[in-house]
Amino acid sequence: MINPEMNKLVETLLEGDHAAALAEARRLRTAGMASERIVTEGLEAAMQRLDDKCTVESFNLLEIMLAGRAVSAVVNELYPEGMPPERGRDTFVIATLEGDIHDLGKNVTKMVLIGKGYRVVDLGKDCPVENLVNAVEREHAHAVLVSGLITPVIPQVRRVRPALAARGLGGVRVVAGGAALKQATAGELNVDYVAETAFDGARYLDSLARGAV
Amino acid sequence: MNSLERVKAAIAFAPADHTPAVPQLFGHAAALAGVALEDYIRNGELLARCQIEAYRHYGHDMVFAFMDFSVETEALGSVLQYRANQYPDVVSYVLTPDSDVSALAVPDPTSAGRMPELLRAASILRREIGKEMPVAGCVLGPMTLATQLLGIETALYLAADDPGRFEKILDFAAEVAVRYGIAQIEAGAHLPIVFDPAASPAVVPPQFFRELLLPRLKRVFAAYRAAGALANWLNIAGPTAPILPWYPEAGVDIANFDYYVDPAEAQKLLPATCLDGNMKSLSFVEARPEEITAAAARLVTAFAGRGGFLLSSGCEIPLEAKPENIAALVAAARGGD
Repeated sequence: MINPEMNKLVETLLEGDHAAALAEARRLRTAGMASERIVTEGLEAAMQRLDDKCTVESFNLLEIMLAGRAVSAVVNELYPEGMPPERGRDTFVIATLEGDIHDLGKNVTKMVLIGKGYRVVDLGKDCPVENLVNAVEREHAHAVLVSGLITPVIPQVRRVRPALAARGLGGVRVVAGGAALKQATAGELNVDYVAETAFDGARYLDSLARGAV
Repeated sequence: MNSLERVKAAIAFAPADHTPAVPQLFGHAAALAGVALEDYIRNGELLARCQIEAYRHYGHDMVFAFMDFSVETEALGSVLQYRANQYPDVVSYVLTPDSDVSALAVPDPTSAGRMPELLRAASILRREIGKEMPVAGCVLGPMTLATQLLGIETALYLAADDPGRFEKILDFAAEVAVRYGIAQIEAGAHLPIVFDPAASPAVVPPQFFRELLLPRLKRVFAAYRAAGALANWLNIAGPTAPILPWYPEAGVDIANFDYYVDPAEAQKLLPATCLDGNMKSLSFVEARPEEITAAAARLVTAFAGRGGFLLSSGCEIPLEAKPENIAALVAAARGGD
């Protein structure tokens, strides 16, 4: 149930109208609403509505990117220094691994997770596994997300879990997604979960945060 | 029956000695021949030699004058990065959201970038084996070329923020596809395959396809038909079920379908259009030959009563695919011999 005060914000976010969403967030702030409420009752509600709408059959990058851009604009307005760790529910590290420079899927997933109130550390594309492990340790991340569009990156994906374990981070979950990786099973990739879409991955991470997995 | 006759029969839904095997073998031909990919995609003669060698090795039913998805954008001024054994990537796009696309001229395929090399490959393939073997060229569809001129994120935002400007880019991209595709036909390709992965419903909604892309694809395919293409082939991977019913209106004779779309559903959506698909491309790397044989045999059986089918992967077969898996696909098409 969406708080009626948030109707306009949620609507503009879902339409992907980033200028209107930003204006509405500013209006709510000026009216005295706390940033945290705007995130939990506005942004997260919008992402939930988008999640409900985006089944595997109707998921498309264009609509998600437009909503994601609007969400990012509002988050940057509310937290110009970045989402504070104490505010974010969990921290995730996300990257496209070494050998793959296609990062659209990663960027979309990051936007979805930020919209859901998570803190996301983005290591960019062509990222060595070593850098990923360092970031998990440094940021106290709860999970790692790796995206892959091309099949030659698969050997790198398989290295992530052993590399985490070697650093005493074996409890950190690994989620894979992207056109190449989602043709494989979690077992084949040596990861904990293979996400069909950004929202599917986010649901898995939600369940982790709830302690359900 | 030779390969050309077999593929023609499939397009016409006519009887054939067996299902044509048309694995999407592009850069894998370089890997099979022990040739560096970065040489293969820059030298038309080498590309043609590797394609012929792959055909002699596997005995499949089509060869491909295909380099990569960056040929057109490079010819138009984008800067590429070539890396060992990978397809090149664009590091600097020729267009920005503020660029005026009318400042770009449609490139001359006989002189721009690597286009002449691709024409050379098509010409050699046609001359050496094209009497019996279909030679496919490759062009980018309007949506994918637009994303290759701007970068995909910029292109998608521009499509939403300034549709008028974006449509001009799509029109330009369609003109490029027409000129480059016709040049391929004139050089010897039986048909240019139109690859348009960015038109997939995974990227843009079906209504976007219908309103913005279908009219341009229609223009492109009408031009190819007038230029004498053997058939019009549209290759879009991903969950294409919502857009397949519009393919006949676009003038499509061969429709690629990926593993997301069930063969029975594809047949229902396109009852009179030849289909090609839909093996998982990753399975050619990861699976065992007997798994490929079983999956391919299921597909051949699914189309046995209908015809109009080319046994293929739903997307490109990866460079690092196991040769024995491709051989298994070809054997399954022939009925397991």
